Amino acid sequence: MSGKTVLYVEDNEFNLKMVRQLLARTAYRLIEATDGESGVATALKELPDLILMDIQLPKMSGLEATRQLRADPKTAAIPIIVITSFALSGDDQKAKDAGATAYMAKPYSPRELLQTIRNLLPEQ
Amino acid sequence: MSKEEATLPDGDLISSPAPSGWEERIVHFLLTRSPLGGLVRWVAAIKASVHGKLLAGYLLVTLLVIGIGALSLQTISKMSTQGQLLDEAHERVHWSQEIQHALAMQMNFTAMALLLKSETTVENILRENNRFNNTLARLEKAAQPEEIELIQRIRAAQGEALTTVADIANLIRDGKVEEAMQLQHSKQYPLYRRIEDFVTQLVERERNKMDRLRSSVAAADRNTLILMASSAAALMLLALLLGFVISWSFILPVQKAHGFLSEVAKGNFAATIDVPNRDEFGALAAHMNHMSQELHRLYDSQHQASQELQRLNEQLQQASKAKSNFLANMSHELRTPMNAILGFVEMVLDEIYGEVPPHLREPLTDIQTNGKHLLRLINDVLDLSKIEAGRMELVLAEYSVQDVVETVRTSLQSLALEKGLEFAAAVGDNIPVALGDPKRITQCLMNLVGNALKFTKHGRVTVWVEQQGENLLFRVSDTGIGIPKEELENIFGEFQQVDTAITREFTGTGLGLNITKKFVEMHGGRIWVESELGQGSTFFFNLPLRTTAVEVT
Repeated sequence: MSGKTVLYVEDNEFNLKMVRQLLARTAYRLIEATDGESGVATALKELPDLILMDIQLPKMSGLEATRQLRADPKTAAIPIIVITSFALSGDDQKAKDAGATAYMAKPYSPRELLQTIRNLLPEQ
Repeated sequence: MSKEEATLPDGDLISSPAPSGWEERIVHFLLTRSPLGGLVRWVAAIKASVHGKLLAGYLLVTLLVIGIGALSLQTISKMSTQGQLLDEAHERVHWSQEIQHALAMQMNFTAMALLLKSETTVENILRENNRFNNTLARLEKAAQPEEIELIQRIRAAQGEALTTVADIANLIRDGKVEEAMQLQHSKQYPLYRRIEDFVTQLVERERNKMDRLRSSVAAADRNTLILMASSAAALMLLALLLGFVISWSFILPVQKAHGFLSEVAKGNFAATIDVPNRDEFGALAAHMNHMSQELHRLYDSQHQASQELQRLNEQLQQASKAKSNFLANMSHELRTPMNAILGFVEMVLDEIYGEVPPHLREPLTDIQTNGKHLLRLINDVLDLSKIEAGRMELVLAEYSVQDVVETVRTSLQSLALEKGLEFAAAVGDNIPVALGDPKRITQCLMNLVGNALKFTKHGRVTVWVEQQGENLLFRVSDTGIGIPKEELENIFGEFQQVDTAITREFTGTGLGLNITKKFVEMHGGRIWVESELGQGSTFFFNLPLRTTAVEVT
């Protein structure tokens, strides 16, 4: 399997499981991290093709992790989709400022998430 | 501020005014370097009212004026007496001269009688003699005692002279002209010369007297002039002195009060005002000290209260910040399980896990519908909490009204289609790019249109936006159930729906209108509704075309 790698940084196991099952029938390979710090470490180690980053994470926020990845030349070019909270105005702007390629409001539709991933990173 | 540096220079009345102009410098010099300063203090310390002091000053000057007036009157009356005396002396001199004249005439007529050897002219002599006697009598009447003797001598001599004249007349009548001439030479001439001497003496005396009177009048004149001039000068000086002393005994405490009040205004409540005045100004100074103490006390308690308030405010701010953080976290925490619930249901319905048996599709769709409703509730509650906490801020950006309306139309078109309702949304021509929070404005319009579609069973829902001057007017009308009059007022409150029966039929959070109203007001706009039960409702809201100041309600 030489599919493209997607890193999902999320601390909720059900959401992880959902995306895992969503991507299971696609050509994407999913790797996971459950907090900001390990998210950055995994990204630097694995150099995935795309990153899904939840905005609120233990140890380090998704925004901070995004900023660090953008600052590192090895990961600077990797597209990052930041998952924000709908009701908090300004989240979108904060995500953009941190360097997000795109953002999706939680709760997101799995169908739309897959579409966004495909737009940024063609499956084949 | 410490007590030492707070107290005004000293209790002395003469200290505060800092001289600047030359007038002030003179006053300052007079008050500090001359005895006037002491006098001012003395007047200030007199225990009398301001009215009393002023009255005393005026009375003193007035009394002096009256005194000087009396003195002048006395001098004038004295001068007039002397004038009268002078007049009388003049008159006496005149009479004496008349006597001399009568005497000369008598001599003359005697000589004529002798020359003409006629006694008829003697009658003329008698006439002159009468004139002489009358004048002498008048002179005697007006004469001074020391002159009486001289006058009596004149009369005696005249009597003798008259006897001689009679003798001469007899001699002439008898034709003894020679004898008559002799008598005239030997007796009449010497007598007349004597009388002449006496009269001359009298005139001399009067002249001397007149000279004395004249010089005395001149001296009196001079003295009066000097007296009047010096009195006027003294009076003026006194008036100036009294004016200066009394007025400065009032001005100085006022100046001190001015300085004192400036200190108090600067917040120096420890300052005290100290004036020697024992009049109204003294009482005022005492009151001002009392006031300053009271202000000090008030200021202290106020200061304490404000510190307490500040402390409370800081606590509140911290609490508010904590609440805001809690809301942000809560929002995300609630969304995370919702994400999984709605996501899994969608994936099941999308048949990612395989085919869905037909009898399970309906309950799964029910789960999805209610999950979405729960999400809307969560969103509304969180929005409202943020607004109530004052943490909701508009994100101002330029937006197109057309785009906003289009977004709402496309989102809700399917719902209208499902219910078989006519749904039209349009925007007036040439509306310029607007400034506001497009996300929140979209949310407002979405709420109103969503409600209209929800509460309308038949007919149509129309959306119309137009520009009205500097404002945008949004209008959403429906042909729905309408709102009873008594409910129109409450419709924008929290958890308000027309009644519970309707709520059961038309699901909704009951927060949409309240949130919409708050967002409209945050933009500086207004929302209102017109409705008739059973006929439908029209909701209006207006927004500034360009929102500048964001007001948080």
